[in-house]
This record gives sequence, C-alpha cells and structure tokens, in this order.
Amino acid sequence: MVQINFALKEVNCKIVYYGPGLSGKTTNLEVVHKKAPDTSVGDLTSIATEGDRTLFFDFLPLNLGQVAGMKTKFQIYTVPGQVYYNSTRKLVLQGADGVVFVADSKRGKMNENIESLKNLEENLKEHGLDIANTPIILQYNKRDLPDVYSVEEMEEALNAWDAPHFEAVARDGKGVFPTLKRLAGMVLESLNENHAPRRSPSVVAPKASADSSGGSTTATAVATSRTGTMRTQRTASVTGSVARTRASVSTQAPTVRTTSSGARPVLVTSPRRRKRRSSMVVGIVLTSIVAATVLLHLAGIIRILP
Amino acid sequence: MVTDSDHLRNQRVVFYSDDIEQIDVVLAEFLELSGCKCNLLIDKEGHMVTSGGDTNSIDEQTVAALVAGSYAATREMAKLLGEDEFSVLFHQGKRDSIQLSMVGNRTIMATVFDDQTTVGMVRLYARAACEKLDAIFEEIRNRPQKKASLDAEFGSSAKGALDFFFTE
Repeated sequence: MVQINFALKEVNCKIVYYGPGLSGKTTNLEVVHKKAPDTSVGDLTSIATEGDRTLFFDFLPLNLGQVAGMKTKFQIYTVPGQVYYNSTRKLVLQGADGVVFVADSKRGKMNENIESLKNLEENLKEHGLDIANTPIILQYNKRDLPDVYSVEEMEEALNAWDAPHFEAVARDGKGVFPTLKRLAGMVLESLNENHAPRRSPSVVAPKASADSSGGSTTATAVATSRTGTMRTQRTASVTGSVARTRASVSTQAPTVRTTSSGARPVLVTSPRRRKRRSSMVVGIVLTSIVAATVLLHLAGIIRILP
Repeated sequence: MVTDSDHLRNQRVVFYSDDIEQIDVVLAEFLELSGCKCNLLIDKEGHMVTSGGDTNSIDEQTVAALVAGSYAATREMAKLLGEDEFSVLFHQGKRDSIQLSMVGNRTIMATVFDDQTTVGMVRLYARAACEKLDAIFEEIRNRPQKKASLDAEFGSSAKGALDFFFTE
C-alpha cells in the first residue's frame, strides 16, 4: 500500500518480484543495484541460505528523486521462489503496490511458472487483492537459452489478463530496467489517479488500475528450517539528507496539461462585472424607495414635508 | 480472508504534518524518560513513519524493512502457538539492543538502546508510549477522512523522473 507522508514529504511504494525458484528474481535486483546511480540506491540486503537461495527476501531501497515536491521511493523485494517457503512469500507480498512476475522461459519450466502464478493469485487474494486489478508485469526471463518457449506460448499459458510483458536476459542486464520502469510507471499512475487533481496527465499506464491495499495475513504453514545467512552488498547511502543529482527532474519534466473530460465547468465572474452589478442593485432599491414614498404621500398616508 | 471492515481500517496510509507532530511529541517524551538512543516508527509494510533520537548511524529504510519482516514472521509463529501475536520483541546485542513494540494493528515502534538504561525502564515507558500513540492513531482513524492531495503536476513530473532515471 502506497504510503504518503506529508510530514517527511515522501511517497513510499512497495514492489515485489515474484516467480518460481531460480527464475532470476534476485538477479533482477542485483542488476538494478548495479546499474542505478549510487546516490539513488541503498544496500542490497539478502536474507539467504548458505547456498545463496533466498530464504526470506532480498530488499533494495530505490530513490527516484523529487516528484512534484515529494521524495518518491520504491522499496523493492523479492520472495523466495521455492514452493516450501509459501508462508514467508505471503508475508513479503503484504502491502505490495505492484508485482513483477519473473517467469522462466526454459522449456520444461512451464508447470512451475503456472504453479507460481496461481500461488501469487491465491496469496494476493488472502491480502484482499485481485490479480486482475493489481499493477503487474510479466517478465519472460532467460531468453538467451537455446531451448525456450516462444513468447506466444508464454503469453498463452500465463497472461490471461493481458498484462504488459517483457523479454529479458537478467543475467546480462537485458530487459531489467524496462520491466521496472513500466511497473513503477503503473504504480505511480494509480497513485496519480487516486490522489492528484484531475488535470494531471497520466504517467505511463497502458493498463493502470490498482486497488493496492494491504491487510492482515492468515498464513498457517510452517516456514523456515534451514540455516540462514544475511549478506549485504555495496554500501551507498540513500536516506534523508542525500543530495540527489536527479532532484531537478521535476523541472525538466514535460509540462503538458490536459483537462479531464470529467471536469465540471465553473462560472467565472470578473471583479469589475460584480461591482457594476452591485451598483445597479443599489440604484434600483433607492429608486423603489423614493417612488414608494411619493406614492404614499400622494395617497395621503404619509406626509413628506410638514 | 480480509473482511471489508479490516480493509477500511487498514486504509490509513496518509500521514499529515499535524499527526506526525503529535506522534513526535510522544516519541521525544519516551526517549527522554527511558534514556534510549533512538526509536523508529514503522508501518507493517516496512515504510518509515517517523523517527526520533540519534539515527545517524542507522540505515533507516533497511532497518524498517527488516523490522517489518521480523515482526511479520514472529506474528505467524505466535499464531502457530495459538497466540494472537507477540506484542513485544526484544533482541539483545553486546552493545546495543532493540525492542519492537506493536502500536495498534499496523504500526511498530522499534527502540534502540544501550547500557545507559535498562530493559525494565524501556519496557515500562514503551508501554505507556504505545498506549498514547495508539490513542493518536485511533483518533486519526475515526475522524472524517480527507482525501490526500498530491500536486497537480505529479503525473507529468513522475513520467519525467522515470524517463530520466531508467535511461540505460
């Protein structure tokens, strides 16, 4: 659920990378961490097993910079892909504003993809969210492998609600930024629709509808049993006082203005016209009083002069 | 499953300056009485709400994410043991320790302290602070909700920021 903090002048959004085990979720985050400017990303924190498999989540804070006077931040998480860790996966998904589903394109992995997607749908439902109304992107990863499903086959099997999709080779960094950019756009678009005055144009959003709200989880499965280690990569401060080189983007942004078709016309009256109208009203009232007084005098009801 | 009323109750995601000022007063009072180093108020999605004390040496965002994850995992453990939740968590270190206290149903107060104070003092004053904070959140929740309004340029500005940030 997007948090808007007017005291800190911050907007915080949560993005979750979901998908089957070894599909490349953590690799996506590693690429974002590597390619984004140091001043805009914090540490990449992974709670992983000794074999470098995600145990709880990976976490990367990303700072987009100033957007219309608000520091706009994304907290990006991955979930553990293995079936066994469903309860922790559900916890990480709580409050997600957008989801990237990373599917493995390698032939023979379709059942795992479908199972994970179904699991995503169920877990979103437990948090009160409908997958069809949640900003979601499908990323078909590992496109460089020799034996992969065609994009049409992937679409047919996974994309029942016509969500945007991207092909990627996350290991080489291909398709990682476009995926995240599109999802971030959809999340901000839904925020814009819900919280900004109507005249503001859309962010990206070919398909942007979001009922991004969280809720209490009802997970009951037993979670972890393997030894966990926590690793932190590269240090780069991202919090509060960091001077952002991208802070001026809001001034560089296009200043297109559109008027929503739903906006109601407003009657505008100029000050001069209002003054003239007041004078006319006063004149009519005074004339009426004088005329009434003369008529009453003529009728003999009152006497104007002694 | 999440009911509609749960859903509505959980919609409080907008914090105004007046609310944060009230909250900061409670946190400052708690820090002074308990002798703690700092405290962070974090919502259960892992977003920072506000903080008090000396937080310079802390990566607040990462701590917030880990605290939320830790608390969520512990809540599931509590459920498995037949408890609603463990309302207080305590992690003891050689130098610094951290106590996590639940405030209402969607906010966590994380308090960092060292040997300048005691666990008993922290726990005593934290309980009082949490009650006060809960009263503030309850008041916020019950008052008529005004719609949070972002700047009219938010949409175009966001588009520009995304184009700028994600250039490869």
